Amino acid sequence: MDAIEKDLDKLVNGGANLSKSIKDIDRCLEMLMAARSTIEKDPSATTSTLQNLEPELKAGFQAANDNLKGLYTGMGKYGKTLDKKFKRNDNENTFGALTNQQPLINRAIQMHLLREGNFEIADTFAKEAGIVESVPSVLEVEFRELFSIQESLRRKELQPAIEWAQKRSAQLEARASNLEFQLHSLQFQVFLYSGGPDGPAKALEYSKNFLVNFQNKYFQEIAQLAGYLLWREKLQTSLDDSSWRDIIDLFTTEFCALLRLSAESPLYVATTAGAIALPTFNKMAAIMKLKKTEWTSQNELPVEVPLPDKFKYHSIFVCPVSKEQTTDSNPPMMIPCGHVLAKDTVQKLARGTGSRYKCPYCPADSLPKDAREIYL
Amino acid sequence: MTTNPATFLSPESNLLLEEPLLRLPLEVLRKIFKSSQRYIENDSKKITELARDAAAKAPLVSHETSLESLNAMITRMQTLKRKMETLQEEEKVIHAQSRKRVSHLNRLYSLSSLLDEEYESWSKVRLDRFMVDYMLRNGYSNSAQQLAKKQGIEELVDVDVFVQCWTIEESLRNKKTTECLAWCAENKNSLKKIKSTLEFELRLQVYIELVRERKLKEAVAYSRKHLSSSHDTHPDEFLRASCMLAFPPERPGPYKDYYAEGRWDHLVKTFVSTHHSLYNLPQEPLLHVALAAGLSSLKTPSCHSTLSTRHNTACSATSLCPICSTELNELAKPVPYGHHTTSWVDHDLIVLPNGRVYGTKRLAELAGKLDLGDGKYRDPISGEEFEKSEVRKVFIS
Repeated sequence: MDAIEKDLDKLVNGGANLSKSIKDIDRCLEMLMAARSTIEKDPSATTSTLQNLEPELKAGFQAANDNLKGLYTGMGKYGKTLDKKFKRNDNENTFGALTNQQPLINRAIQMHLLREGNFEIADTFAKEAGIVESVPSVLEVEFRELFSIQESLRRKELQPAIEWAQKRSAQLEARASNLEFQLHSLQFQVFLYSGGPDGPAKALEYSKNFLVNFQNKYFQEIAQLAGYLLWREKLQTSLDDSSWRDIIDLFTTEFCALLRLSAESPLYVATTAGAIALPTFNKMAAIMKLKKTEWTSQNELPVEVPLPDKFKYHSIFVCPVSKEQTTDSNPPMMIPCGHVLAKDTVQKLARGTGSRYKCPYCPADSLPKDAREIYL
Repeated sequence: MTTNPATFLSPESNLLLEEPLLRLPLEVLRKIFKSSQRYIENDSKKITELARDAAAKAPLVSHETSLESLNAMITRMQTLKRKMETLQEEEKVIHAQSRKRVSHLNRLYSLSSLLDEEYESWSKVRLDRFMVDYMLRNGYSNSAQQLAKKQGIEELVDVDVFVQCWTIEESLRNKKTTECLAWCAENKNSLKKIKSTLEFELRLQVYIELVRERKLKEAVAYSRKHLSSSHDTHPDEFLRASCMLAFPPERPGPYKDYYAEGRWDHLVKTFVSTHHSLYNLPQEPLLHVALAAGLSSLKTPSCHSTLSTRHNTACSATSLCPICSTELNELAKPVPYGHHTTSWVDHDLIVLPNGRVYGTKRLAELAGKLDLGDGKYRDPISGEEFEKSEVRKVFIS
C-alpha cells in the first residue's frame, strides 16, 4: 500500500497532473495579452509583435505538451504499481450461482436495508427494483418497531423494550430467554445510579414491583442487585456503555429469533464470509483449470474453507470412518456403545447383510438394526 | 469443539475484491488526460495557425484588423484555459477520491484479527459499497445514491460512470443507437486497441433497421458509408448484410437472426461488457462474487434438510444460521455446501430419548433458566421434557 500511496502522491502533489500545463497555457495567454497592449500603445509595432508571436506560442504549447507527458508517465507508474498489488486476479462468480437470481438478491438487499433501519432507501429500492410483496409488509412493520426500540435503547430509554418483552413474555419464556429479566435489572441499575439522591429508594421500589416475579429463577442475580443497593458508592462503575451494547445485542437477537430470522444480517455475514473464503475459491478454480478437471461431488465443495468459529451455526458431524459429512440420506447413527457413525458406514461394516459387526472405536459389537438415528 | 486458528486477517486476501476501487479512478484520470491532450493539440494547432496568418497579413492590413485577429486568438486561448481548468477540477475530485480509497484499504493493514470489531465495521462499509455497485449495475441509481449518501461513502463508489453506462444501455433497449455510437466515437482509440466489434455491430443494426423498413436505397447508402470500410475485418457479416436486402422481414429466409429482436439484447450485452472492460471493471457485480463464495462456505447439509426434525438445529450458537434465514435460504439452494473434515459439536454430548443430541451444559443451563427442577431436561427445539435418567452419553470421535 505504501508504494501505491507514494505514486498517488506524485500525481496529486508531485506535479504529475494538469497544473503545469495549465500554467503554460496561462503564460501563452499572458503573451497574447501583452502583445495586444503593445499594439494598442504602439500601432507601428504591430507587424514585428505579431511576427514574434508565432514561435513564442509554439514554444509555449510545446511546454504544455511536454508537461502532459509527465502526467502520462506518472499515471503509467501508478498503474504498474496497482498491477503489482492486485496481480490482475480473476474472481469467479463461483458456479455462476447468482447470475440469474436478481429477484432473490433484491429481496435479500431489501430485507437488509430494513434491518438496518434504512426505511426510506428501502422504499426507493422497492420502487426501482419493482419489488412487490416478495418482502411481506408485516416484516417492514416489525423492523420499524425493532429499529425504534433499538434507537430508544441507544438513548438509554428502557421502557419501550420492557413493554415489548412483557407482551411476549410467554414466547420468550419458551425460548428460555432472560431478556425480560435483564431489562428489568438494567432499569433497576439506572434508577440506582442515575436517579439522584433518592435513586436507591426508586430502585428498591422498582425491584419490589418488577423483580420479585423473577425470584425463583434469578435468585442469585437479584441478590447481587440487592448488594448494589448497599454498596452503591463503591460500585459506581458497574453501569457502563458495554452493558447498553450488550442489552441492544440481546434484544436484537431475541426480536429476530421470534421472527425466525437470524440476528445479524445474513447478507452481511455471507458477504464477509465470502470475502474471507475467496482466496480458497480462487485457488480451487485455478487448480481445476490447470488440471482441466471438474470436481466430482457436485453438492459439496471439494476443499475446506477456513472460517472463524463464529461463522459456524450448525453442528457438523463427519463420520470418523468414511470421513463424509452426514446428510439427510446418510444421517448420523448412534450404535449401542454410544459411538456415532454415518448410516452408510454402519451398512458397510455389516457388509450389507445385517450381520454383527464390531464398533471401530471400542470392543463392543452390535447389529445394524440396533443403531438409531440421532439429530445433531 | 476445537479452536479455530482461522481468525488471522490477511489484508492481501481481502484486497482480492478491491482492485476496481483503485483501478476505476485511474481509468477516469486517463480519460481526463486524453481529453486534455486533445484540447491542447487542437487549439495549439488552430492558435498558432491564426498567429502565423496574422503575422503574414499584418503588413497588408490595418492594425485594427490585426488587433481583431489577436482578440480572436485571445478568446480561443481563454476558452482553452477554461476547458483545461474544468478538467483540472475533475482531476482534483478523482485525486481526493483515490486518496480516500487508499486510506480505506489501508485501515485493513492495522488489523490482525477477523474478530476485531474494526474489521466488522470495515466489512460493513464493504457491503454498503457492494450494494451500491450492485444497484448501479442494475440501474437502481436513486437507491444507490441515497444509500451512498446515507452511509457517507460517496467517495468510495462510482456513481457517475455507472449512470452513464446505464443511460446508454437504456437507449439501446429503446432501440436507439445514437448515444452508444457517440460513446464509441469518444472512445475510438481504446476500442480499436481491444479490437472491439461494438461499433460495427451497432452500424450493422442501424442498417438492418433500414432494411426492415424497406428503405433499401438508404440502407445501401448507409452500408456504403459505414459498413464497407469494415469489409476486411468482417467479410462474412458484410456479405450477409448485403444479401439480406433480397429478403424482406416477412420472408427472412436465412436472415432470421439479423431480423431477430434478440439482436438488441445482444447489443446491450456487448456494450456493457465492452464498457466494463474499458474501465477495467469486473463483468459481474462484486456482490455476486462475495455472496456466492459466502453462501457455499456457510451452507451445511442441515440448511435445506427436508426433515423438519433436523430443521433449525443450531449448536451452541443461539443465533439462527444466516443460510436458514429467509433472506438467503432460497438463494443458497443451488450452491454446494461447505466441506468439513472434522466434526463440530458441543462438548459432553448427550442424546435425549427422542434422538436429539445436545451439549450437557446447554441443557443444564436451559433447565436452570426454565426452573424445571432437578432431574429434568427440556429439548430446546421440540419442547419435550425428559427425566435425566432417560438420557445417554454420546461419543463423537
